[in-house]
Amino acid sequence: MSAPFDPTASDARELVRTALASGAAERATGAATTSDLSIDEELNLHAIGWESVELVTGYSMFSTPVGLWSWGQGEIVAAAQAHANAFRMAAARISDEAAAAGAHGVVGVHVERAVHPSYTEVSLIGTAVRPIGAGRVPATRVFASDLSARDFARLAASGWEPLGLAVGASFVYAPRRTMGAVLQQQSQNVELANYTEAIYSARELAMERMQRAAIDLKGTGVVEVKIVEGPMAFASHAVGFAMWGTVVRLAGSSHQNVEPTMVVSLDDAALAFDAATLE
Amino acid sequence: MTDHANDLPEATEHRLEELEHGLFTSDLSVNEFLLVKEAGFHPVGLVMGSSIYHTGIQTRKWSQSQELTKLTEAMYNARELAMNRMEEEAAELGADGVVGVRLDVNYYEWGKDAAEFIAVGTAVKAEDGVSRRNKLGKPFTSDLSGQDFWTLSQTGYAPQGLVMGTCVYHIAHRGLGQTLGTTGQNVELPNFTQALYEARELAMTRMQDESARLGATGVVGVRLEEKSHQWGSHTIEFLALGTAVTKTGEPVTLAKPTTIISLDN
Repeated sequence: MSAPFDPTASDARELVRTALASGAAERATGAATTSDLSIDEELNLHAIGWESVELVTGYSMFSTPVGLWSWGQGEIVAAAQAHANAFRMAAARISDEAAAAGAHGVVGVHVERAVHPSYTEVSLIGTAVRPIGAGRVPATRVFASDLSARDFARLAASGWEPLGLAVGASFVYAPRRTMGAVLQQQSQNVELANYTEAIYSARELAMERMQRAAIDLKGTGVVEVKIVEGPMAFASHAVGFAMWGTVVRLAGSSHQNVEPTMVVSLDDAALAFDAATLE
Repeated sequence: MTDHANDLPEATEHRLEELEHGLFTSDLSVNEFLLVKEAGFHPVGLVMGSSIYHTGIQTRKWSQSQELTKLTEAMYNARELAMNRMEEEAAELGADGVVGVRLDVNYYEWGKDAAEFIAVGTAVKAEDGVSRRNKLGKPFTSDLSGQDFWTLSQTGYAPQGLVMGTCVYHIAHRGLGQTLGTTGQNVELPNFTQALYEARELAMTRMQDESARLGATGVVGVRLEEKSHQWGSHTIEFLALGTAVTKTGEPVTLAKPTTIISLDN
């Protein structure tokens, strides 16, 4: 069911007028803004007194030694270092770019990362934001967050603030099973302890690193943690575990309850009926 | 560590200690986070359990419908291992429960029949300090999202545990005679119907048995998944998965739902 947006509805007109008014104020100071936020998100931002400034990016690529993935024992330290460095540099660059544009933070950061046999790359793209009217007042600290502008606004309304991205990654060799073990286990239900342990140690190291990063940012929590785990596509005897999320802390004195209203959507039933299926 | 039954790696315990000192991690979205807070809980940490498991081999008869008990056991044991490890982590954190549990099976290039079973969720603790653990004294587990968790709490029910039942079933092929006999006809295929019924019933019954052990009064959000994994088209795993709930006895004022018509889509 799709209803066209009705720009003549009284509440919609009011919202658009507010949005345009603040945009006009921005143009008066001479700087045009770019942003990949949707109109809804722009309105959400304005509702909590923030505005978008510019689309900013951070990118970094770190090489890893040749033959790194071929064989070994324990953690593949150089791979984890390359991952951490690439992330750190990319995050620093996107924050620097945002600071240069006079922003106080970056929201909706798209995190793209790829681990290749010979290099690791991290690319971050997001929209720099600042409190309306903060102008060129330099921020004491510029945060970068992969939360959407909508989530950022909702967190702010509940008294929380994002502090930055925390990431942790680790790559570990899984010991090979002996030929005898492979044959013996062929027809059995059995846990493969070598892989289970490799995944666990990679995961522990990754989590510990992410937590350390969050504590260093003076956060009290990490939300929307994403996990990418499993054997490396190009080296199945090595397992990787990477996780990242946005570090948050309570900005005010206490958590503000959101007090949600329960609603019943009528959309699904209408969608479920498709006259074409009767033919 | 005084609990000897606990087989968590040492590094895990160290990391969990860090979480006990105030920092939380969570894969909840912002909406879910706020709703979990709204329901009176605070996230304490992302918890996970995993097991890489090799499933054995069981011969199937081409023309016979039967449960493949060895494979059923494998699918069950491996999931139990993952779930129990996740629960242990939550218990270590002093959590009352785990919400938003995802239970996945991943196949990688580790050789045939080896799969990764993984359970991930966010451990939560009641903010009023009253224990919300289940009848067995363990943290409750639930695959309900933060949204569903809040809604459930509004109705006066509390989750007790993620319950599951599984059944790997081989469905007989039809013989040539049967196939020719039904060509061109509208006719029910009773052997297929019956096999699917039986397998589903077995999975559902096992799930219900688990919820009975938890003293639950119901199972909500049940999903029935049918997957062939890597066994070919006639061998199917039926997995029934849901959250067992009980009535808390706390007074409830049900919110009157507001009807809205979304302008999206």
